[in-house]
Amino acid sequence: MKRVVIVGVGALGSHVAMFLRNIDAKLFAIDDDRVEQRNVASQFHGKTGVGKLKVQALQQTLDFFFRLRIDISHSRLCDDNVEQLLAGASLVIDCVDNGATRRVIQGYVRRVGMPCLHGALAADGSFGRAIWDEQFIVDDAASGAATCENGEFLSFIAITAAQIAHAANVYLKSGVRNGFQIAPIRTIAV
Amino acid sequence: MENQLNQDIAQTALNAGARVNITWRSMNGDLPDPVRVDASDVELRAMITEAVRTGSVPGIAADPRADFTDFVLDRFAPTVVRPYHLIAIRPKTPFGAS
Repeated sequence: MKRVVIVGVGALGSHVAMFLRNIDAKLFAIDDDRVEQRNVASQFHGKTGVGKLKVQALQQTLDFFFRLRIDISHSRLCDDNVEQLLAGASLVIDCVDNGATRRVIQGYVRRVGMPCLHGALAADGSFGRAIWDEQFIVDDAASGAATCENGEFLSFIAITAAQIAHAANVYLKSGVRNGFQIAPIRTIAV
Repeated sequence: MENQLNQDIAQTALNAGARVNITWRSMNGDLPDPVRVDASDVELRAMITEAVRTGSVPGIAADPRADFTDFVLDRFAPTVVRPYHLIAIRPKTPFGAS
């Protein structure tokens, strides 16, 4: 069975997992963070998940709503564990919130030739990306609060997550790599 | 055959120039006319800034204070799905919102 690894299950990653619930592949979620009260506004984590590990909360939510069983790892991806966590993946989906971890992912998938789809958002909720690794450049940090802070951009986060899930779905079925740049009023194939 | 198709697409796309897509304050639009594929980043930023400031981009309201200094320029080669060069200027996207 194919194995899809989602690294980071916050606003983007938790919704990507939800949108991928019907794929013919085993999902594996990696995250080192815990659900906070403020996350509930913009992430696919409910109030019952507050205080739990994000991967654990996601696992329980997907099981409760969809009887979907996913594998999880409570880890921060780094050079020391990237091989152990990503080896054997059919597809890696990067939904992390920092450039350092994105570079670790990018370094590994390029070294071993593994397909990788990167999801990314602008701080002000004005732009999202679902970009295959061969076209992806890690952005330096930008000013502004994280998009997931207060739930204001929930619908746009969900649109971006759906495009990421769609691109992953198409790839898993056909091998075609479609990427997207997403503005609130327009989506462009790249 | 596939290579020939791709070469044809590539040559046609090169001759046609690049489409320039702009994202500014949640608005999005294209420059009305294509630009040279090999236009420099400096040329493109100047062109784009002027166009947005003067309201010349369909879909983006004129903004005399438009400033793309901190924005990223992406250049995408043509593909079968998108048979033209695309240059996109966009805000930085550091968040996956984990």
